[in-house]
Amino acid sequence: MSYYDHYYFPPSRPRSVEGGIKAQSKRGEFGQTWWGRRWVQKLESFSIGARLGRGKSYARRGQVLYIDILKGKVDSAVQGSRSGSYDLEIKLKVYKRTEWKKLAESLRQQPFYVARLLSGEIPEDFERIMKEHRMPLLPEPRNDLKMECDCPDWSNPCKHIAAVIYLLAEEFDRDPFLLFELRGITREQFLYEITGAKAVKKKDSDEAEETAQAPVPLSPGDDFWEEGALPDDFYGVVRTPPAPAALPKRLGKFPFWRAEESLSDVLDPLYKKASLRGLRVFQGED
Amino acid sequence: MVVLHLGACDGQLFLWGETPPGSKTKPKTGSSPSLPYNTTAKALVSAASEGGLRLQVKRAVPLHVWLPAWDGVPLPSSPLIADTPTEDTDPVLALWRITAIALSDDEAFHFLAACYGKEMLAPGVILGSDIRFFKKILRFTSALVTREQFLPGVGEQDGEFQAVWEPVFLSNDSDKLTTLAGVMPQVCRALSHKAKKAPRESSISVVSKVVNRFVDYLVRLSWMEKRPARTRSRKASKKSYASVHDQWIQALRIWNGSMSGGTEELEHLAGQIRAWRRSISVSAIAPFRLSFRLEEPEEQEYADLWYVRYLLNAVDDPSLFIEVADAWDPGKQTKSILARRQANIQEYLLTSLGHVSSLDPVLEESLKQPRPGGAILDTAGAYVFLTETAWLLQQAGYTVQLPAWWSSTAGARNKLSVSASISSPSMKSAGSLSLDKVVEFDWKIALGNEKLTLQELETLAEMKMPLVKIRGQWVQFDAKAIQEAIDFWKKKSRSQSVTARDVVHMALGLAETPEILPFEGVEATGWVGDLLDSLEHGAEIEEIPVPAQFEGTLRPYQSRGYAWLAFLKRWGFGACLADDMGLGKTPQTLVFIQHNWETNDQRPVLVVCPTSVMGNWQKEAAHFTPYLPVMVHHGARRIKESEAFQEEAEKHAIVITSFPLLHRDFEALGQVNWAAVILDEAQNIKNPNTKQAKAARALQSDFRVALTGTPVENNVGELWSIMEFLNPGFLYSQAKFKRNFFVPIQVDRDMKAVERLKKITGPFILRRLKTDKTIINDLPEKQETNVFTNLTKEQGSLYRAVVKEISDSLEGAKDDGIKRKGLILATLMKLKQICNHPAQFLHDGSAIPERSGKLTRLIEMLEEVYEVGDRVLIFTQFTEMGTMLQRHLQETFGHEALFLHGGIPKKHRDRMVERFQEDEDGPLFFILSLKAAGTGLNLTRANHVFHYDRWWNPAVENQATDRAFRIGQKKHVQVYKFVCTGTIEEQINEMIEQKQEVADSIVGTGEQWITELSTRDLKKILRLQKGAVQ
Repeated sequence: MSYYDHYYFPPSRPRSVEGGIKAQSKRGEFGQTWWGRRWVQKLESFSIGARLGRGKSYARRGQVLYIDILKGKVDSAVQGSRSGSYDLEIKLKVYKRTEWKKLAESLRQQPFYVARLLSGEIPEDFERIMKEHRMPLLPEPRNDLKMECDCPDWSNPCKHIAAVIYLLAEEFDRDPFLLFELRGITREQFLYEITGAKAVKKKDSDEAEETAQAPVPLSPGDDFWEEGALPDDFYGVVRTPPAPAALPKRLGKFPFWRAEESLSDVLDPLYKKASLRGLRVFQGED
Repeated sequence: MVVLHLGACDGQLFLWGETPPGSKTKPKTGSSPSLPYNTTAKALVSAASEGGLRLQVKRAVPLHVWLPAWDGVPLPSSPLIADTPTEDTDPVLALWRITAIALSDDEAFHFLAACYGKEMLAPGVILGSDIRFFKKILRFTSALVTREQFLPGVGEQDGEFQAVWEPVFLSNDSDKLTTLAGVMPQVCRALSHKAKKAPRESSISVVSKVVNRFVDYLVRLSWMEKRPARTRSRKASKKSYASVHDQWIQALRIWNGSMSGGTEELEHLAGQIRAWRRSISVSAIAPFRLSFRLEEPEEQEYADLWYVRYLLNAVDDPSLFIEVADAWDPGKQTKSILARRQANIQEYLLTSLGHVSSLDPVLEESLKQPRPGGAILDTAGAYVFLTETAWLLQQAGYTVQLPAWWSSTAGARNKLSVSASISSPSMKSAGSLSLDKVVEFDWKIALGNEKLTLQELETLAEMKMPLVKIRGQWVQFDAKAIQEAIDFWKKKSRSQSVTARDVVHMALGLAETPEILPFEGVEATGWVGDLLDSLEHGAEIEEIPVPAQFEGTLRPYQSRGYAWLAFLKRWGFGACLADDMGLGKTPQTLVFIQHNWETNDQRPVLVVCPTSVMGNWQKEAAHFTPYLPVMVHHGARRIKESEAFQEEAEKHAIVITSFPLLHRDFEALGQVNWAAVILDEAQNIKNPNTKQAKAARALQSDFRVALTGTPVENNVGELWSIMEFLNPGFLYSQAKFKRNFFVPIQVDRDMKAVERLKKITGPFILRRLKTDKTIINDLPEKQETNVFTNLTKEQGSLYRAVVKEISDSLEGAKDDGIKRKGLILATLMKLKQICNHPAQFLHDGSAIPERSGKLTRLIEMLEEVYEVGDRVLIFTQFTEMGTMLQRHLQETFGHEALFLHGGIPKKHRDRMVERFQEDEDGPLFFILSLKAAGTGLNLTRANHVFHYDRWWNPAVENQATDRAFRIGQKKHVQVYKFVCTGTIEEQINEMIEQKQEVADSIVGTGEQWITELSTRDLKKILRLQKGAVQ
């Protein structure tokens, strides 16, 4: 920490915010995936001293009021020590649709990359391919990442930007397609370029549900009073899973979690209890 | 009587019921008539209380139900409610008004849980098919929750947001939901608030709503542990939260899931939840599922080339598979298959493949080619796939097809196993034999049916390959474990201490052996072989002569049963004789007792039975084994003091007591070293933790026998207790039994566990059915048995009072007066009524259960018949008794009982007979008035005939019996004649038995001859004999 930091900006407690976005990592480094780490490293390469640490604690304390990820930019607001919050913006260079089209063409030859992306992971050497197409996904050294905050700090990035960058790292960990969005293409558009087909939208699943709910008139037939028979092995193997809450864990982190308790701390004991109780009911002991 | 129903209406569950019409409630005016079978609110509340529901009458609301009907006559759910109209036309739906009570999720959940495993909640409270169906929904729900197939979410209704736990239907759970909806009885969705159109909500929608509600309820219940207050607030609390996420996780963990706050904020949360769940929703809505098939190397030269083929399996047609290789760039045919399902399959395919590629590097590698269709594996890789990857894939919701030889059931022939061979000298040359004798022991290895040499196996073990091809078949091969197993058996065969008992345990699968080489059985020669043969197949048990003092002849199968009992006693095993009712378990037991007594063991045998059959045992013992001293330990004057009891008991061959006394007088009963303990109706100890069961196990005896007519071997839950009594430790501890057998069989339907259990218990259970070919040949076509029962205390005192009354009145009367005759005949009638049931005598419509010894016994016997599904005729000469029987049987069994008497019009009679004879699911019980139905009818579907009360004329009884026993009867007919011991009925019975051979006509047509007896003789006949009352 340098002398000047102290001189100009004595450390002050930020005003507390209720229900701000809270980082889900409670200690240590941000960015659990390699791309999340690279995103954070970009920030840390600016050598802004103690602002990094404060940015981290801002992220963990919930000082960030909101984050909107849009095409090519992120809008956010952070509560500092003064009344009123600071608005900030982070921009990344956007690629053209024609560039994406070219990329898609080569990716089709190796379904591995898209497959992994869709399952929530950016393969290690994916960035190499992006660079070959001169369209790196993560920010490059110069001129790529533009950040602005309306706080009085002369440093850019400031601690507010740092806090948002850290939170974004967690979000990118969860959904790498958000990086694509910052680069100008949504997940659906990207998929369209790869598969040439429109993504299955929420609307379609609603339609499926509607067909299930299509009216069926009652009929006075034999099945009016009588139930049919279920196949012998209908219920299958019913066991308590070896580790609790596997299903929510498979979904990864919750987007921009704001609560004090972490979601997995809440879910683990709950799933465990529910499963045991369920088994008792299933076996007719309840 | 009430048949309870549960139905869904606008997302809410309603309880309602049907009651036989009779007490007519005046229909109120309105557009729709009220249901003639409608159960009143009061009756509904009282019936529901049997399922633990605490409802109040004031909660009842009017509701509508659409039922099939003919011109104003609705079709009842069961003939117990009303006769089914016999119309040729199809019914049409009509609207009826009913009384219903809305149940909260909490009430519905616990009510259904209370209904588990039951057809009835209490006598006269029957569960409708809709409730049985909702039980299945509950079971399915609890299975989903056990497997953790649920996620937190938010639900919105009319602008109100709720934090909810929602089921997730991955892979085949969505099929199961469809299957479940497919078996739903329509009545579940036939309720409506309004009287306009019939409900149109689809079954699947009804089912999924209920599943959703139960999942939410069950998850909260498991967390909260306490049940919610009935007036569960639906309003969101005003408490303010730091963030919507704080509020959400809070609302997920309390009973009230309501959420407050701005719509925009809550909608944002809903959006976040959608984004969070995206990966599973892609697969949940895909019309195909990714599937993996492991294919064996095809040719010898490429013996190390295995292939995992990627396939797409259509959700709506499980038999339809598309190769993934074809799906990337679909040809015409594939294209049309995809198009028909509106599938953009690529996103699903890519997402899924991306997901699975992280599970296994080989799968990952395959994705580095364009349009991947599968992955190539070597043998080691195939083994990893079989043992690990396949499991991971299945866990992740994909289907996996493995070679048949791998999956356990089909691949039995590819399993290595060990068998033992024993050689022992023959019975004759072996000298004195016991289970402790050491035997010569050798062992063999086999692959399926083919023998392998030890050397072959050891060579394979040295190769250290996880999969090896032996004689053309792929076999899993854990070299290290197999070497250990080889060592185990080598050591065993060299040791000198394998006893016959060890061999028996091995043969039954009771011995601990290395799992890797499953133990397949024992081949033995000589006496050990004979012993095993006899145990396992009941074969070759040497017949033993019937003891001289046994009065009676045994049928061939009875001789075998008797020899079997003696055989198990000889080797010190307990026996469960579970023959069908009517095959004579009692004489088989008695001849064994006589045999044991004559072959020098003069210790007493203890017989424990229900109070209702004590008299029967006494009678049967007196008949078959008249020379054995019998002691009845029962009643207030029994000997309770231990030493005195022991002394007295040891003077007798048989001591008969009842189940309730087993525990109460254990101090005395436990004192005696019994030659054998015999439990009749052994299902009385089916619950191992009752005092009776514990007392039974604690009795001292060398030999234990359980008698029962119910198929014990089918009831896994009850088997442990009986086996633990017979052969302690054979089924392990109760907890281990539950783990090893009960849960696998009951929950997973594990057929192997069923086999194992059969193997262990089979040798000790002998159950012959009347339908067995070998038994049929041994049986007479018609077999008549007297069933002796006792009077209850109430019956006894009524009986004495009536006898006293007539004795007093007879003193003055002239011997031949008309008045005297009338008096005597009226008295006979009264006594018969008392023997039947006090309520029949009192004509007061009072309660039925537990007041008549005869009725109690009838119900016990019918329970066995009911379980087997046989059909039954019950004759009585009293219409009043018939009506009582009908009511009581229906309420006890929840099953229709027909009653044919003189007041039934011809058309109805014909219909009854037709239903009894022709209808597959028709009623099993047919009560008939002796006078109205004694002749003419053809009722050959019945193979049991009960004469509930007696007629003086055996010809009349025989004629009645012949309703079942006549041309067209394919089964053997069992005839049971009920006789109350020590009463006028026994007099009648003896009279009939003595005279029958002479001529039916001597006894004549009735009771006239009694009226001609002298007063002294008459008093003798009428007096209640000793031992008549329980």
